[in-house]
Amino acid sequence: MAKRLVKLTFPESLVKKPLTFQMAKKYDIMPNIRRAKVTETVGEIVLELDGMEGNLEKGLRFLEKQGVKVESIVGDIIE
Amino acid sequence: MSFVKGLKCRECGRPYPKQPLYICEFCFGPLEVDYDYDRIGRALTRDEILSRPKNMWRYRELLPLDGRPTDGLNSGFTPLIRASNLAKALGVKELYIKDDSVNHPTLSFKDRVVAVALSKAKEFGFDTVACASTGNLANSVSAQAAVAGLKSYVFIPADLETGKVVASLIYKPTLVGVEGNYDQVNRLCSEIAAKYKWAFVNINIRPYYAEGSKTYGYEIAEQLGWKAPGHIIVPCAGGSLITKIWKGLKEFQRLGMINELKTRMYVAQASGCNPIAASVKENMDIIRPVKPHTIAKSLAIGNPADGVYAQATVRESGGWAEDVTDDEIVEAIKLLASTEGIFTETAGGVTLGVTKKLLAQGRISRDESIVICITGNGLKTQEAVYERIGRPIKIKPNLSAFEEHIRK
Repeated sequence: MAKRLVKLTFPESLVKKPLTFQMAKKYDIMPNIRRAKVTETVGEIVLELDGMEGNLEKGLRFLEKQGVKVESIVGDIIE
Repeated sequence: MSFVKGLKCRECGRPYPKQPLYICEFCFGPLEVDYDYDRIGRALTRDEILSRPKNMWRYRELLPLDGRPTDGLNSGFTPLIRASNLAKALGVKELYIKDDSVNHPTLSFKDRVVAVALSKAKEFGFDTVACASTGNLANSVSAQAAVAGLKSYVFIPADLETGKVVASLIYKPTLVGVEGNYDQVNRLCSEIAAKYKWAFVNINIRPYYAEGSKTYGYEIAEQLGWKAPGHIIVPCAGGSLITKIWKGLKEFQRLGMINELKTRMYVAQASGCNPIAASVKENMDIIRPVKPHTIAKSLAIGNPADGVYAQATVRESGGWAEDVTDDEIVEAIKLLASTEGIFTETAGGVTLGVTKKLLAQGRISRDESIVICITGNGLKTQEAVYERIGRPIKIKPNLSAFEEHIRK
């Protein structure tokens, strides 16, 4: 099992869709939400994902394909 | 003697011990150093600061070490220059350049943060330091690790130009070229930082490292005669520098080093990588990451770690943000050189270019004091201007050939 800490940003058009749940179910990933913010125009979730390494990759790619921005929570490392 | 209470989460406020930690294990927010300001207030006075050597450690009570500083002992206290020629060119009354293009030892403001990071890494007992960088940070870690006798690993994208590699390689770090795109290098470095017991200056040492930037702000206030200026324009990559200059000025006010703080803080970015400036200008609730495409490589951070805090600094201080095109950056570099004799890297062109724009928009008052932050040296990014500065005149080796050219 592997863990990933990520920040997901949902554009307005996707805020109402249960994409995190779909990703979790489809790829057998356990999400643990630590922080979230939803405003009129955007949704932002900081979470820990627990699952098989290959599934985590697929799950995150699934979200990206739907239009969710997936970012590392520590920001860019290269300065 | 330490004045540090510990670390604290910037999001949920949860306290943590003084350790090489950087993320809150509950909310994943970034950690920040928490000081005992009452004790600092009793220990540190203007006179005490004035009695010390002119380097960044003259403010050491406000930096996160437990013992004496061991690195960057000649870093900081760079000139604050009254820029009269440039002021005339811009039509403003009181203009200053805070010039870290001459910072010791590697000619950028990164020498400040690395000085703190390495001193702290040694206190923690690390024997190896590391960073991922394409420029100034790599140079500074390589140089200061060499002096400190620490092993150093510097990670760069494998296709980085030779010119940029030389200014790190000369200090003999282990330089690792990673074959992959920017995101893959980022990802790999996070994994390495999690696995190896190294002091990764901008990952697990980040809370301490970032504090070094506060000295840039302290120096501005001290050099202005213990006063904060009306406006400070700061180049932004990850967003840490502007946040820390602001934190430094607020600390100075709290400790009575300056009487009032009415400074407005401005974010300066390149249009080809403007996630923070865009969020300020469009009044967004979040920072939207971008894929960088600009000649200002030292500012090309698409997913800025401290973006939200930089945005908060602008809002709290009543400042603003702007961005400039590559052409405007080059023009500004040339303007600074021809008016003040300072050759800045592209980031400095961004800062001055944005200052011009903010003046034209009326966002900055022409009658108040303005400080432009110049954070790096133009000798490192010569390719950015090479095609835009003309060529030397060629003549035969005799007087008449010379005079012929003079007459033209």
